[in-house]
Amino acid sequence: MLAGGAEAVAEAAVAAETEHQQPRYMAIWATLAVLTAIEVGVAFLGFSRSVTVLALLGMAVWKALLVAFYFMHLKYEPKALRIMVAAPLIPAALLVLVVLLEY
Amino acid sequence: MTSHAATVDSTAQRPERGLGVYDKKVGMWVFLCSEVMFFTGLIGSYIILRFGASDVWPMPGEVLNVPVTAVNTFLLICSSVTMVKAFAAAEVGDLKGMRLYLLATAVIGAGFVGVQVFEYNQLIHHGFLPSSGLYGATFFTMTGFHGLHVTVGVICIAWVTAKAYRGGYTQEDHEGVEVIGLYWHFVDLVWIILFTVVYLI
Amino acid sequence: MATIVAEASGMPVLVVEHEMPFIRKYVFSTDHKVIGIQFLFFSLFFLLIGGLLAVLIRYQLGWPGKAIPGGGVLPESMAPQGIMLPEFYNSLVTMHGTFMVFFAIMPLLVGVYANYLIPLQIGAHDMAFPKLNMASFWISVPAGLMMMASFAVEGGAAGAGWTSYAPLSARPDLSGVSLGQQMWIVSLVVLGLGSILGAVNYVTTVINNRAPGMTWFRLPLATWALFISAILILLSMPVLSAAMIMLLFDQTIGTNFFLPAEGGQPLLWQHLFWFFGHPEVYILILPAMGFVSEIIANGSRKPIFGYHSMVFALIAIAFLGFLVWGHHMFQSGMNPALGMSFMISTLVISVPSAIKVFNWMGTLWEGNIQFHTPMLFAVGFVMLFVIGGLSGVYMASTPVDIYIHDTYFIVAHIHYVLLGGSLFAIFGAIYYWFPKMFGRMINDTAGKIHFFATFILFNLTFFPMHGLGMKGMMRRIYDPAQYEHLSEIQDTNTMVSIAAIALFGTGIYFLVLFFWSLFKGKKAPANPWNATTLEWQTPSPPRHGNWSELPVVYHGPYEYSHPDMDRDWLAQNERPDIVSPAHPELTDQVLAETGASEEPSPGTHTDGAG
Repeated sequence: MLAGGAEAVAEAAVAAETEHQQPRYMAIWATLAVLTAIEVGVAFLGFSRSVTVLALLGMAVWKALLVAFYFMHLKYEPKALRIMVAAPLIPAALLVLVVLLEY
Repeated sequence: MTSHAATVDSTAQRPERGLGVYDKKVGMWVFLCSEVMFFTGLIGSYIILRFGASDVWPMPGEVLNVPVTAVNTFLLICSSVTMVKAFAAAEVGDLKGMRLYLLATAVIGAGFVGVQVFEYNQLIHHGFLPSSGLYGATFFTMTGFHGLHVTVGVICIAWVTAKAYRGGYTQEDHEGVEVIGLYWHFVDLVWIILFTVVYLI
Repeated sequence: MATIVAEASGMPVLVVEHEMPFIRKYVFSTDHKVIGIQFLFFSLFFLLIGGLLAVLIRYQLGWPGKAIPGGGVLPESMAPQGIMLPEFYNSLVTMHGTFMVFFAIMPLLVGVYANYLIPLQIGAHDMAFPKLNMASFWISVPAGLMMMASFAVEGGAAGAGWTSYAPLSARPDLSGVSLGQQMWIVSLVVLGLGSILGAVNYVTTVINNRAPGMTWFRLPLATWALFISAILILLSMPVLSAAMIMLLFDQTIGTNFFLPAEGGQPLLWQHLFWFFGHPEVYILILPAMGFVSEIIANGSRKPIFGYHSMVFALIAIAFLGFLVWGHHMFQSGMNPALGMSFMISTLVISVPSAIKVFNWMGTLWEGNIQFHTPMLFAVGFVMLFVIGGLSGVYMASTPVDIYIHDTYFIVAHIHYVLLGGSLFAIFGAIYYWFPKMFGRMINDTAGKIHFFATFILFNLTFFPMHGLGMKGMMRRIYDPAQYEHLSEIQDTNTMVSIAAIALFGTGIYFLVLFFWSLFKGKKAPANPWNATTLEWQTPSPPRHGNWSELPVVYHGPYEYSHPDMDRDWLAQNERPDIVSPAHPELTDQVLAETGASEEPSPGTHTDGAG
């Protein structure tokens, strides 16, 4: 069904072609693999609790962002889509943070 | 729009732009937003319950098999790479490459599920069950529902692969490949969080 | 069978090929209009069931311990010799709430009207994903059947309240209900999936499939409200599903998420449930507000007062709706600091709601008011919603809520907003869009009788409950007569019960009228209400695919009493130059901007063939 955004899709396709170079994906893959290995290492290297948790969470978020921006192409999509996708994170964070206040 | 002056606005003979992204992609992203909330319910509950019971929580590696799962995590990441390469191949018209990468994704994905099932088996044999305190309850629920999502993903990718082999996708129209890819990457993304939070922290 | 193909111009065009068999056309249909009507029959059925359960509840409260007339047909496990057991009463209050919220009001607002109206109002051929749409309806059907079936299992239907608080809901040894509680959860998880898939369709369609010229701020308020409600469904329903799954595991596989024995947290259930539950009640009211805006603008022959602020108010209510859930938990023992913050956010949320009320009043002000049945229900909505909203302000205040929480004051509030509010708007919507859906009119006099009878009996039933609550009558209580302070006011309860049973009678009257009109109602023209929005610029009922060529939209949705028009309305897809020869300079402007020809565009109000 040829719905809204037909021309925008054509524009995006042209832009996308230039982005889909093979090395890009392999570089991301390597980064993800290395980060995973580092994470496992950090978990068992015996740093202090807060350092471990912060480092691990930071690396997990970094990996998640790599997948979202490059594999899921969010970096190359319209800004409105990025905003739409980021939106649920607010009520999600709210739920967890507010209930944590119970402790 | 409520003024009483003659409201003549410029008209357009083309459809409204919307998000500038085709329907199936918008639909999949919208669905993924709801999935974010579902996993927030599960993972958020885990965080909350653990916060309230942190003194009795096992240390990483005490109960769960971290090395095997780390390898499994790497496998899932590989399947994300093959998935995106399938899409990239479709974009440039390499339909043979697209088909092979799709097949690879389905196989690796199935492998991930297999390893998980193996892991569950091991744990249950050692007496670690959903009823084994909050640790067991949260572990099995979160990884179980993630595994369910992976399984559904594998089935869908297999279906897409079959359609690809029947010539169902072209360089001009491979929307189905892209949107199943989005779902698959999402499932990978959730696992990246889960692996860290459940196995390592 | 119709397919949508792309023309050289890039505009989608409908091509009809061959006739479909009955089962593809009316049962497994992908046409949004058929699916909307399927939801209508589905939800009216459950509205009837929910009403029956209410009658049974009120019978027990009006005449505690007396045998129900005809109650002999009920099994021993429910009502031996026709006198209901307390356990059965618990199931009744639980299932009344469950059926009404999930299987009646929500599908009536969203399942019916999001499906029916959105593509028509935005100028699209159908939803973005018609097959997914069909799936959403057919997923809901087994969910409803399972809920009904749960009455028949051992232990009976769920009995822990529609809010299903743990640990009661997780422990059959405490509630007396085992399988029924589990079926309740499975049914709602399945229904939730159907709702989420539906919401994906509504959101994608409104974002991406608007006709040329249908910019965001030309959307009718019904579509805006349904769009925003769909977003609420997407963000809140999955959290409920997650919580329900955890509760189901507590009930079945020995987990202890919400059971204190192994470190579980009962309050976690409440937080998760109400994190969903509060946006849920806004899902139950926002579409109603959207319909009321449509009807009031139409019935006043004026544009809606403050269209932009109406949109922003909808958005504000939806956003703030995520920040107030703790007001259901003031008495739960949660962190007292949360009590303060939730009180403030709850008081704040009354502001956008009040803005909407003032805007409806502003629309009515000096309007040329048409007192047709939809208008009566819409104005009735405003009156009763205001009362419900005012009682809400009392409850928002934590110190006041200490006294009225879990009393009949809350029951009064709930029913003023859900019945006086949502259901009145639904009735208005049914009367208003019935001609479009079925090509027939519901007799206006008969409709007025329905309205007045319902309005009077509703207030007689529910207004006294404010007083009952303040006098200390608690919710979900089987036998108020056992307490001295309640046996004193038993007469009030009896009177309320009589009014309630009569109110149920008006519901039956409505159902008879509805079905009679389906077959015998006067044939309806395309636009019986002289309305401006796009759905009225199609035949009644519209063809499959709605339009052969998509309409082009030139202005906002409420151009009533336009100064350039002799007629008191201007359709969204009518070109002003054709209908207002008074302004030829505007004709030139329109032509220059669009490169359109002098010929009138297809899809104008006179073009019934679309």
